[in-house]
Amino acid sequence: MALTGLDIYKLLPKTNCKQCGQPTCLAFAMKLSQKQAELAACPHVSDQAKQALEAASRPPIRLVTVGVGDGRKIEVGNETVMCRHEKTFFHEPGYVVRIKDTAGDDEIAQTAAAIAAYGVERVGMDLRVSGVAVENASKNTAAFLKAVDLVKAAGDLSLVLMSADPAVMEAALAKSASSKPLIYAATKDNAAQMAALALKFKCPVAVCAEGLEAATALAEEVNKAGVEDIVLDPGTRGFADSLVTLTQLRRLALKKNFRPAGYPIITFPGEQASSPEEETLLAGQQVAKYAGIVVLERFDPSTIYPLLTLRQNIYTDPQKPIQMQPGIYTIGEPGTSSPVYVTTNFSLTYFSVAGEVEGSGLPSWLLVTDSEGLSVLTAWAAGKFDAEKIAKSAKTSGIADKVSHRKIIIPGHVATLRGELEDELSDWQIMVGPREAVDIPSFIKRTWN
Amino acid sequence: MAEEKSKISFLPSHAVADVPKGTLLVDAAEGAGVHIDIPCGGQGRCGRCKVKLESGSVEDSQNPHLTAEQVRDGWVLSCLATVAGDVVVTVPPARARERVADTAAHRTAVTVHSDWPLDPAVRGYYVEMSAPSLDDNMCDLDRLKAALGRTHGLSDVAVGLPVLQDLGKTLRAADWKVTAVVEQGNVNLPPRLMDIRAGDRTGTSFGVAVDIGTTTVVVYLTNLKTGELVKRASAFNRQISRGEDVISRIIYSQRGKGLDELRSLVVQTINELLEEVCTSLDVPTSAIDDMVVAGNTTMTQLFFGLDPKTIREEPYIPTAVHYPPVLAREVGVAINPNASVYALPCVAAYVGGDITAGVLGSGTYKSDVLTLFMDVGTNGEMVLGNADWLMTCACSAGPAFEGAGVRCGMRATTGAIEDVRISSRTYETTIKVIDDVKPQGLCGSGMISAVAEMFVTGILDKSGKMQVDGVRARMRNPQRLRSGDHGYEYVLVFAEQSGTGEDIVLTEVDVDNLVRTKGAIFAGITSLVEGVGVTLTDIEQVLIGGAFGQHISVEQAIQIGLLPDLPWDKFKFLGNTSALGAFNALLSREARVKTDEIAGRMTYLELIADNSFMNEFMSALFLPHTDLDAFPAVKAVLEAAG
Amino acid sequence: MPVVEIPTEKWKGKIREVTLGGGGRKTVVVGGETTLPFLHFEGEMPNRPVIAIEIQDCEPDWTGRLVSAWGDAVKDPASWAKAAAAAGADVIALSLESAHPDNQNTGAKEAEASVKKVLDAVDLPLMVFGPYVAEKDNEVLVAAADAARGTVVALGSCEEKNFRTIVAACLASGHVAIAKTPIEINLAKQLNILITDMGLPADRILMDPTTGALGYGLEYTYSVMERLRMAGLQGDGMTGLPIMVTPGEEAWRQKEAKAADGVPEAWGKIEDRAIIWEAMTATSLLLAGADVLVMRHPKAIELVRATVDKWMAK
Repeated sequence: MALTGLDIYKLLPKTNCKQCGQPTCLAFAMKLSQKQAELAACPHVSDQAKQALEAASRPPIRLVTVGVGDGRKIEVGNETVMCRHEKTFFHEPGYVVRIKDTAGDDEIAQTAAAIAAYGVERVGMDLRVSGVAVENASKNTAAFLKAVDLVKAAGDLSLVLMSADPAVMEAALAKSASSKPLIYAATKDNAAQMAALALKFKCPVAVCAEGLEAATALAEEVNKAGVEDIVLDPGTRGFADSLVTLTQLRRLALKKNFRPAGYPIITFPGEQASSPEEETLLAGQQVAKYAGIVVLERFDPSTIYPLLTLRQNIYTDPQKPIQMQPGIYTIGEPGTSSPVYVTTNFSLTYFSVAGEVEGSGLPSWLLVTDSEGLSVLTAWAAGKFDAEKIAKSAKTSGIADKVSHRKIIIPGHVATLRGELEDELSDWQIMVGPREAVDIPSFIKRTWN
Repeated sequence: MAEEKSKISFLPSHAVADVPKGTLLVDAAEGAGVHIDIPCGGQGRCGRCKVKLESGSVEDSQNPHLTAEQVRDGWVLSCLATVAGDVVVTVPPARARERVADTAAHRTAVTVHSDWPLDPAVRGYYVEMSAPSLDDNMCDLDRLKAALGRTHGLSDVAVGLPVLQDLGKTLRAADWKVTAVVEQGNVNLPPRLMDIRAGDRTGTSFGVAVDIGTTTVVVYLTNLKTGELVKRASAFNRQISRGEDVISRIIYSQRGKGLDELRSLVVQTINELLEEVCTSLDVPTSAIDDMVVAGNTTMTQLFFGLDPKTIREEPYIPTAVHYPPVLAREVGVAINPNASVYALPCVAAYVGGDITAGVLGSGTYKSDVLTLFMDVGTNGEMVLGNADWLMTCACSAGPAFEGAGVRCGMRATTGAIEDVRISSRTYETTIKVIDDVKPQGLCGSGMISAVAEMFVTGILDKSGKMQVDGVRARMRNPQRLRSGDHGYEYVLVFAEQSGTGEDIVLTEVDVDNLVRTKGAIFAGITSLVEGVGVTLTDIEQVLIGGAFGQHISVEQAIQIGLLPDLPWDKFKFLGNTSALGAFNALLSREARVKTDEIAGRMTYLELIADNSFMNEFMSALFLPHTDLDAFPAVKAVLEAAG
Repeated sequence: MPVVEIPTEKWKGKIREVTLGGGGRKTVVVGGETTLPFLHFEGEMPNRPVIAIEIQDCEPDWTGRLVSAWGDAVKDPASWAKAAAAAGADVIALSLESAHPDNQNTGAKEAEASVKKVLDAVDLPLMVFGPYVAEKDNEVLVAAADAARGTVVALGSCEEKNFRTIVAACLASGHVAIAKTPIEINLAKQLNILITDMGLPADRILMDPTTGALGYGLEYTYSVMERLRMAGLQGDGMTGLPIMVTPGEEAWRQKEAKAADGVPEAWGKIEDRAIIWEAMTATSLLLAGADVLVMRHPKAIELVRATVDKWMAK
């Protein structure tokens, strides 16, 4: 159970010495409870308190890393809540695509290359597929090693090695351990050998068993053999069983501090899906509900892109909304006589304004000011969307060179800024737009000739 | 069958009524021609219809407006008590009833006082020396030092050049009998000679505690020898003409010579007040040998001429929170130019020395019970804690309770409506005006009172919108509820009765402003409480400082969701706690040390960095609150009202 | 094998049940949950989430690919309603879009006619939406309420600025109000309180927390819904109401569902992407507690229905 700031404060020396960088011990305690500070920063904490605090602050779900590639490695676990609004979901699940070693060299190479090359930008973030799960479908060691080589040649993709045969696995690990692949999987038949491989090659290992109890028991067994980095596969492949089992695992880890459940979870949404769409929707469920690594059966941008978007949505920190890059945005292909709208750089504000401006059918310029990710009203109240800021972004953005008129439309919620803005931007006419984005089309229809 | 009648006699008029059992006393009185006001319309909400039972008995229900003592003495509410047999009751005159009501309203007005042992930083020491001669040719300064050591045990007294320049002359003119004014900020510092005065003047060394409010500056002239408060005076802060709140002052300070101008204005305000109090006492202002000031962080920085720019900008950093010792002549205050000016330490950009003073003065810092201290002005500052820990936050409440942004708003001065009662039967309105003159407008307590009454009588819905349908039909004077320039408005006082010749109204826009203001304050409280990890019901006492709190009704403040729904006896109004703290620090060196410790111990919670504040705020933008279950007493009132 | 004790949440609250239809028409009940979505092991989910298919009273200005999925049916609300019923709608969601001042600015008379047409064409329960312009909503929804007397329809949207008129119509004609608030839990609860204070029972309110599509604020709606649902299950009577969302309208508003050209190649094929955009918006919101989905594309509807089947199978 997480300790409150006051609980922690009681264990601190209460000297208010400031050496931890915080003004008071209570402030430090609150930072600790929010996991925004390290206990080591306190030079005076007693050993007894240290033990108590460390036990309480040990992450209930272990952070496990698969792969080494920059921007590609999968770091999952360390989650602290059931629902994102309670705090945030910290570590995005990785998407990997399964390639069978029976697929043929060309196809393997091509698919791996396509995955490695794939990238899409969304609200300032570069979204990528994490890697490939190479499956030893052939049961042949050479074919498996060849497939692993082909995938490795495509770039720094994170790897999941799928084979039930410890000998095959050892051969593959001998070639690839430095890229820290995930060993998939230890089962009740080979757990001891797979655990030994995980220790020998210092790689994480997945445990696969049917059901929550079997999977956690196996995890405990592998852990007892000395392996720390474990990933769980409780064998659930459908919508309902996956939802229930993954929810129960998360609860056991967070609320009961049940260590064998405290590992990231790997899922295979496509294994029993009847269509790519079904696989995609199930993968979506698992992103929202507690998967750490999602193995997809196929690579297709039209389903990967929605999944990457969903992951971005779900894993956005509710305390730190997504921000747009401040600057000029175009809606349609605006010209010198197109309207200029001003708004803030809160992504949701931007999206709703951009959507409605687009809906108005009139190509336009959108001047997005840096409001530190706050919506219009909140930013205005916090002094982050005032006449000075708007004027500054109007002047520095170069919008004056893009339009021949001198009219600028401000959100109706900040109508009070009009006078000040007229002072700041003396050669511009300040028009007050509607309060709600949804009224933009009718507003512009009425006022823009 | 003939109904059983009871005989009710009313004193002092001896009027009599025969009424059936079960009749309300107020109705019986009406029958006897005795008029008892029931301002709230007879639901036991206001407690203004109290009468005293002299003999006989009535049926009556428990009511929070009656104290246990009053119940014992036989007081009942005539709007709730029903006749159970022959009785004799005394109807006090209207005035007396008001007073009775007041005592039940949990008010305590406290002026400054100090519980600390008198131990000021500045003292006068009378010494007599023998005049020098050819045989005794010690220099003047050594002679004085030797005398101070011999007579008072003072050693290593430091002397500045200005004192030295006058020393020889003063000693001789005084015939070697002088009062040495010596400051010793704490026992570890060497004493400092501030002044030499002819003769024994130990009884006339003064100090002054100054509360520099954004709106009002108050000075408390104090005799340092006796610790007695000699004279108090207050005036508007002259900076008001350059902006009403701290933010606009900071903005003004960024213009050309704005900072210097603001500094001069507040110094001028203080000097004029000192002149006023000293003149009335025939004391020279130069006899003031010590000054302690308490102000919010911006006021303190402006007083010292420190640029407050960074207070307004993220990440909101003040120049200093503990201020070094400064001499009066450096600041420009017209007291002994060698005197020190001590500013109470601040905590953060929006939690200043006034709050440190408040925590000292209110005793929050040493409380055994979980205490919420709040100081409500344009900003609302709160401190939660006890002897073990202190957590503080500030929220921008806006100036509505001080009269700004409310159509008929005004400060709590003569002519301000401070209490409103609306009858739930007739919607007739009863008001109480400061100094009993014709009303000019509403002050903060009047606004709270008006909104609370309008809410519990159903004129306002929970979102603060006026309900015309249904309500108007039941109003004795439907003209009270009308459509104005900005939505609906409610007429509290018609032009004929008002002191301004115009209707005194509360508009929907006003209500909206007030709801935002109370919402911000309440959200500050809940954010603080949640930030620490306790709950509202854990709070064992609420101490309210600032002039704001003096006359508000706890009951009504809870009804609108400004204060948490806790038992009324947990609330205490302490008056100007900023001045109280400054006064204590002036009279006690230990108290002064304590303020440093308190400021260092207060943990500041930045609400802007905290999304949960926004959530708490949205939740508080409702009457009394989105979570009605957190206001059980209000819920009960609403349910009773149907 | 060791027995692991599975922690279960025992919620003390129950989401209210809201009934639509009746009066000789099919009946649909939504709500009634005593658990978070689809966690049958610890509580009841007596009514499956329903899909309302959106139709309009005039030809829609929707993107071509979406319109063509319905063919000629869109030319008339009655034929469209039948097509929607054939596509498996549990409820018909009629948008009186022609009343928008920028559209045909039609009024009460036309609204009444459209509602009657749809009621005559199918026997499914009905939801009726105005054009989201406060005065017009008041006009056409009051007319719709009157036209649908005898059966229970859901009328939307009641917003903070105009709920009184529509709630009064619900009170007069026995309908259900759809209370729409801008993605904020407190505002949602406040509107429910104000509506029930007017005398409409809480089991005649559907909450519309405002939908953000995938990539366009989905996470805000998602979290507000999770919070509303958890507060409701904890026993808060003013948040424990069924939730209605509009993934169809919101998903199809976005470029991802509309644009075939001029978008990054990494977005993939528009045909598949567009359907997934609507379906994934819908399924994600179901996981957050949606009880009523207003949807648009038959293929997306089919996918979501199949998914709900799987979730509801115990």
